[in-house]
Amino acid sequence: MMDRQGRGLAETVWTRLDRKAGAITELTIRQLRHRLSTWVVLGVGFLLLICLLALFIGGVRDGWEPIDNDNDSHDWDGDGYPAGQEYKYGSDPTDGYSFPGSGEFVEEGSFEWGSVGIYSGNHTWRWATGVFTYNWIDENPIGGEMLGIQSLSECPEGELFEDFWLDWGDGCRLDENRLVVHDASFIGNGTFRVQEGYYAEWGYMEDSFDVEPEPASNYIDEDDIDWTGDPNKINGFDDDGDCLRVGWPDESTPEWDIWGNWERHDPDGNRNGVDCDVEWITDSDGNIIAINPDNNVDEDPSEENLAYEDAHRAFIIGTGKIAFVMILGIFLPLFLALGLVRDETENGTLHYLLSKPIHRGEFITYRILGYLVVAGGFVLIMSLLMGLVTASLGPGDSIFRLKDVIVWLGIAFATILALAAYGAIFNTLGLLSSRYGVYIALVIGVYEFVMAVLTLGGAELIPVLSVSHWTLQLIDSIVLIVWPNTIEMHIIASAFNLPSGITAFWNPPAHTLGTESPFVSGLISVIVLFLITSLMILFGQRQFKRREIM
Amino acid sequence: MSTKATPAVLLEKCSKWYGQVIGINDVSLAIDGGVTGILGPNGAGKSTLFKLLMGRLKPSSGNVRLFGVDPWVSTSPYRRVGYVAETEKLYDWMTGHDFVSTLARLHGMTREEASDRASHVLDFVGLSDVQNKEIGKYSKGMRQRVKIAHALVHDPDLIILDEPLHGCDPIARTSIMSVIRDLGSQGKTVLVSSHILDEIERITEQIVILHNGRLLALGNLHAIRDLLDKHPHRILIRTENPRKLAEYFVPEDPVYGVRFAEDGALEILTNDLSAAHEVLPRVIVDSGLKITSIENPDDNLEALLGYLVGGTS
Repeated sequence: MMDRQGRGLAETVWTRLDRKAGAITELTIRQLRHRLSTWVVLGVGFLLLICLLALFIGGVRDGWEPIDNDNDSHDWDGDGYPAGQEYKYGSDPTDGYSFPGSGEFVEEGSFEWGSVGIYSGNHTWRWATGVFTYNWIDENPIGGEMLGIQSLSECPEGELFEDFWLDWGDGCRLDENRLVVHDASFIGNGTFRVQEGYYAEWGYMEDSFDVEPEPASNYIDEDDIDWTGDPNKINGFDDDGDCLRVGWPDESTPEWDIWGNWERHDPDGNRNGVDCDVEWITDSDGNIIAINPDNNVDEDPSEENLAYEDAHRAFIIGTGKIAFVMILGIFLPLFLALGLVRDETENGTLHYLLSKPIHRGEFITYRILGYLVVAGGFVLIMSLLMGLVTASLGPGDSIFRLKDVIVWLGIAFATILALAAYGAIFNTLGLLSSRYGVYIALVIGVYEFVMAVLTLGGAELIPVLSVSHWTLQLIDSIVLIVWPNTIEMHIIASAFNLPSGITAFWNPPAHTLGTESPFVSGLISVIVLFLITSLMILFGQRQFKRREIM
Repeated sequence: MSTKATPAVLLEKCSKWYGQVIGINDVSLAIDGGVTGILGPNGAGKSTLFKLLMGRLKPSSGNVRLFGVDPWVSTSPYRRVGYVAETEKLYDWMTGHDFVSTLARLHGMTREEASDRASHVLDFVGLSDVQNKEIGKYSKGMRQRVKIAHALVHDPDLIILDEPLHGCDPIARTSIMSVIRDLGSQGKTVLVSSHILDEIERITEQIVILHNGRLLALGNLHAIRDLLDKHPHRILIRTENPRKLAEYFVPEDPVYGVRFAEDGALEILTNDLSAAHEVLPRVIVDSGLKITSIENPDDNLEALLGYLVGGTS
């Protein structure tokens, strides 16, 4: 089928427009390709992202060290028992003489300070400084180092504190059954002669029994989150017993200190009438909206389930927001879009293009389109690359985390919208003032960066007059659409004081018109970004149409 | 397509000022068909005129119409116009063929159409052998011709060339002139500007003379030249014996005086240049003197302008 001029009927105004658009877009792409600055800025962007990927891969290869969220795997007092084990047995984790099975020291007598004296018998000797002549000794009674003699060497010639010195807790051997000790504790049968000017006491241990110290690893990830999924059931279980235990060493302290702070261990801190539980509050749709745990319940969850996922998502969201939107999103347009029309005008090559039947307004639009193909193509390719790596190496049971790729595509989409908006703004600035446009653009770039930082910090009102705010909210919305449990992870991390990257990089979308729906906030963001882009293009077109070209 | 009712180019009382500086001043003009030379010294307003026609500038007053349409408002007449701008810049990284076919696509041609047309016009301007070379490697004349090729690629009815011969070597000049004459003989309307009378004379007889933004003369170059011929005019003859030659010239009718120039040349003053040139060979033969050169020092644009300005003021 042909028309009068012998063209196929497919030949319409639209296909011709299409061809012009194609030609200018293609010309723009080829021009950008022939400019060194394009390759420099794309190269720098590429290096930045590759460095981040290398960090990510390095992190994955090092593996995830389980985190001791409640700090109870450490033996604070050096008695050989991790704090968590001491909590269970009710001993004081900060007192080396108090440990599981240590019992109570009952004092029978002591030397007066500064006196000289001798005392004999089978006793537990504490804080003893002097010479002990014995027929039997246990230098390392159960429970660890603080009670024993820390180090035992041959004594040098001479007198203690005159000719030689011992550290606190140390001792040295004078001969087969004679020791010199300095502030040491041990059990033995013999005669103790206190050093003049020093001290020693003796007594016995009551109710002591043998407890094997547990390895520190038993107190890492030992109290996982126990959530039945039903807020009406009792949730949370104190797996490591540090909430349920009775007989805390602070039992004697008052309930309130002089500042009015709760001092004593309180098994029902959330005041829901159940000791050592976690209160989960959900809305009518079953979404978790708040979590109130009692102290020391579910406080050391397994990273496998939460923190790995949190860190992984935080990497994706953080990279997406900072590297893609705040760095690439602002710098690519600064380098690539500012001169889109300005350079043609300055070179005089604009005359070739404008002597063709093409409107100046169209010309601007197609130029920006060409720039978007280059900058947006780069962003898309880089995000897919990041997606492939994080989806393959991320935590979880699946071999390939498809949702990672979807989030990355969302980040690319948001970044491309930002590129369009900044491209339109900067191109218009270049048109308005070929000399000062670049400085104004730099100021805008800094402003946008600051607004992005405010948005990251959770500001909802001040940054609304910026492109970056809406772009970041679009990413927040996409993240919530793809990973709906991100809000719960956010709440859980805050409730149990877990280190969380999500809380640092992700905020629940603010502008949802009260619906709390990420679809609404995402749609609003897209519309706002489209509007900014269109208005700036229209403004640029208006300026350009009225411009006389010499 | 162009009819008498809507000439290709129409200016009505058109003026353009750049602040205090006059670009063109109250120019009215209608041009349709054939090659027209726009003649004027640098700064006469030739480029301003073209930029008004191409919608780059908005007239300060008056109207500009290209095929009956205001080019400042609509780009539609550019479908039928090819414009060779004064600018020397080109996309040096493109090949000639690339450049022309890319711009052809802005006329809505498909890639294939554009490529075919580009090859065709590059052949027409004599660049077919270098069309796949980068423009950066082109000579000045080739660069001018590739600019002409891009203006011709859509087979326009009106072609506007701003100083197409500027800076070209004689060979390039000749070939560009022949391209322009060919276009004229194809029935296109061609506007070509120059500040060199001789160049225009070799291309066309129809001229427009601009001076200080004003339209000074419009019409056939020969008619203008005849007017000029009626004006006191000099012929400079270099010979071994100017005094003897003078004796032969004094009695001739078109000659009203002679003068001896300082460097031993004889200056013949006439009121009728063509009549003087008619008698010139006979007189020289009669004298039997050896002549080294004959010059018409007044036969250039400056002289023509001098005459025209002198005549109008």
